[in-house]
Amino acid sequence: MGSFIARRLLSIVPVIFGVSVVIFLLVQLTPGDSATALLGPQATEEAKQELRQALGLDRPLPVQYGAWLKRTLSGDFGTSIATQIPVTDLVLPRFVNTLILTSSALLLAMIIGYSIGLFAALRAHSAFDRSTMSLSLLAGSAPEFWLGLMLVLLFAIKLKWLPVSGMEDMAGDGGLLDLLKHLILPAVTAALGPAAIITRIVRASLIDTLRRPHVRVARAKGIKRASLLRRHVILNALPSITTITGLQLGYLMGGTLLTEVVFAWPGLGSLLYDSITARDIPVLQATTLLIAFTFVIANIVVDVINAMLDPRLREA
Amino acid sequence: MSFQQTFRRFTFALALSASAIALAPTAVLAQGGTLIWGMPAETDTLDPHATGGWSTYQVTYQIFEGLVKEDLTKADVPTPELIPGLAKSWTISPDGLQYTFTLREGVKFHDGTPFDAEAVKFNFERFWDESSPNFYKKAKAFVIAYTKWIKSVEVVDPMTVRVTLKAPNYQWLRQGLQSYGQPLMVSPAAVKQYGNEGIVAHPIGTGPFKFVERDQGVKTVIERNDDYWGNKAKLDKVIFRPLQDPATRINALENGEIHMITTPPWDEIERLKGEGFVVTTNKNVPYINFIHLNFKNPALKDIRVRKAINMAIDREGIANEIYRGTGRAEYGMLSPGTDAYDPNFKSFTYDPEGAKKLLAEAGVKDLKLVFEIPQYGTGEIVETWIQRDLKKVGIDVELRKYEWVTYLGKWAGGMPEDVAMNEIGWGMSTPSWIDIVSRCDSAPPGGINSGYYCNPEVDKLLDQAILERDPVKAKEIYQKANRIIMDDAAFVPLVDDLQPIITSAKVKGFVNPPEDWYDLSIVSVE
Repeated sequence: MGSFIARRLLSIVPVIFGVSVVIFLLVQLTPGDSATALLGPQATEEAKQELRQALGLDRPLPVQYGAWLKRTLSGDFGTSIATQIPVTDLVLPRFVNTLILTSSALLLAMIIGYSIGLFAALRAHSAFDRSTMSLSLLAGSAPEFWLGLMLVLLFAIKLKWLPVSGMEDMAGDGGLLDLLKHLILPAVTAALGPAAIITRIVRASLIDTLRRPHVRVARAKGIKRASLLRRHVILNALPSITTITGLQLGYLMGGTLLTEVVFAWPGLGSLLYDSITARDIPVLQATTLLIAFTFVIANIVVDVINAMLDPRLREA
Repeated sequence: MSFQQTFRRFTFALALSASAIALAPTAVLAQGGTLIWGMPAETDTLDPHATGGWSTYQVTYQIFEGLVKEDLTKADVPTPELIPGLAKSWTISPDGLQYTFTLREGVKFHDGTPFDAEAVKFNFERFWDESSPNFYKKAKAFVIAYTKWIKSVEVVDPMTVRVTLKAPNYQWLRQGLQSYGQPLMVSPAAVKQYGNEGIVAHPIGTGPFKFVERDQGVKTVIERNDDYWGNKAKLDKVIFRPLQDPATRINALENGEIHMITTPPWDEIERLKGEGFVVTTNKNVPYINFIHLNFKNPALKDIRVRKAINMAIDREGIANEIYRGTGRAEYGMLSPGTDAYDPNFKSFTYDPEGAKKLLAEAGVKDLKLVFEIPQYGTGEIVETWIQRDLKKVGIDVELRKYEWVTYLGKWAGGMPEDVAMNEIGWGMSTPSWIDIVSRCDSAPPGGINSGYYCNPEVDKLLDQAILERDPVKAKEIYQKANRIIMDDAAFVPLVDDLQPIITSAKVKGFVNPPEDWYDLSIVSVE
């Protein structure tokens, strides 16, 4: 088990390295640079050259990348070109905010997905099953942006139960209750897509397991339903369920951008959006690396859990 | 009464008075209230020497001041009046080369250090004097339009500073009041303590508000400066909230989470007015939307084609039906909001038949033109209208949309031959804005005259205008240049944006001035 984990952890290095090179190149290849972004209508060639020199953007690409890599390996992620704020000061609080949003969304998605999926599987082909599957299709296909705005229109504007945007009340003092009030709509919006997928996979996986020979034998032996589920069905169905759940976490980490923009939730997604618009390379690098890192870790955790559940997977 | 009853009454009375005491100070503190402004973009950096955008200046304008200011407390004026700021008076020598500023006494920066001639000198060294140890390289790119005129800066006495220009330029003071790299006064002590980069976390100026905190992406907070030398602000605090998505901004306004928005979507304005929100516009905001015509494009080299394009577009229609009255059809290339602007200037009227005739005369058939445009949050409605108008006279326009920064790079780099038109919207409260847009030497890469328009007649007039001390005479010269530019059909002016701003009914005293930024010291919130 130990070597399995170790092998998995080692795979982080090439992935992270690869991501950093790709992002760096992509930004360089995109027309327009941060000097243009900052200078706006005043972006004459002379002014741009001055600014590029001042920012070190006129050095050859391998030199720029090398300098960035050296600094990053020693823990210095540089300074944001647009705001001159140190990158770690910018990125870490946003990372925490995104974690709050995505873990709440994932938790919601798991609760909805596991419970509805389980009930649907146990009542396969019933009215309950068919209606929940249609609903999940709707929820999974609806664009996140639109869903978010619809929820805001209903709960914030019409009913005035919840706030429209942000993580905290601007004029107030904050606090846990304030945070929770602000968290509900964005978390629900972000959760609906993953919830739909998890519901379907849970249902499919359970139905599949319920059909297996060993379950039929157990039923024939007269084992009670609760015990049957607990000991013979759920554990066997888990690997595909945990895999899809882990994938949803990865998807959420990178995909909350739209939810964050609609709700002005100050997370990594909206930071990514801003830094792409501003061509803010140090921030872009740090943000994408963090997202990639989290995605890889999430998948490793899922692999480890699956290996713990199913010894057959430990050789992989 | 039993002991228990008395005790209960006593504790109840105690609790009541405690809460009364707890509430009272808050009631006293909240005199002017807190204004929460939902901004369409995040401010970039709070160092006024190393930044440019309007969104940023709208914030730094409250914290920093320059020697000279614009009076933004009056709405119904053609251009904001130049008034004393940190200089209580100034003189310009008869040859126009020496500006002698007499500084205001008793002014302190927000950190308590004194404002004096040494502080002014330090600031000029920071953004202009490359030989000084205080020079900040990054600032140079932003302030270049203002500093390229400066020959020397000297401290005459502790309260007097003299700036000598290389050549006379009577628009120079105004040029230093636009959002890009302004000569605003930053506390030298703060720069020395926190460094050139660190100043963004400690933006210390002399203005009516001082910086409290910045949570990037969430809010920037400033509070009233009770030691301000001038009219103290009414508001206790201002919170700037970046809300990129226009729908979110509108929703937050309706829900009372913010009090003010700029650049509202045009079709929401009527509805919000109906709900009791206050909509203000200003007919002299320096903001003109126009098209650059590419003089390197083979088809557009013929003046008849350029004139036909100008005649084919229904500007009034765009102003009425798309801008819903928050725009005004523009026929010339001078920026509104200046003392040279003439709202009655007319050039091409909407005449599709005339346009078709001209195109026929020019022997042009089945003309296909490429129009490069930036991607907007509001959708490319105006551009699609223009495409339709040109189709009616037989010109096929292909719209090529680009993300904003990509577009800026292309626009600033100059149009290649195969592109016929691009567009932009901006302006300045100095009529010399037209120099930036239309001079021969403003062609890329030296400048941003994206269509490479060049008429030496115009350049000669603009050279004269800048040397003209009397604004009335300067106006005549600028208008002559304007007439030549439009006779050449060098650009297609479209619509002036009247900058609609929507405020909640709780906001009192807000003035929408003929500028793109606002004086918040006169505002209060109930």
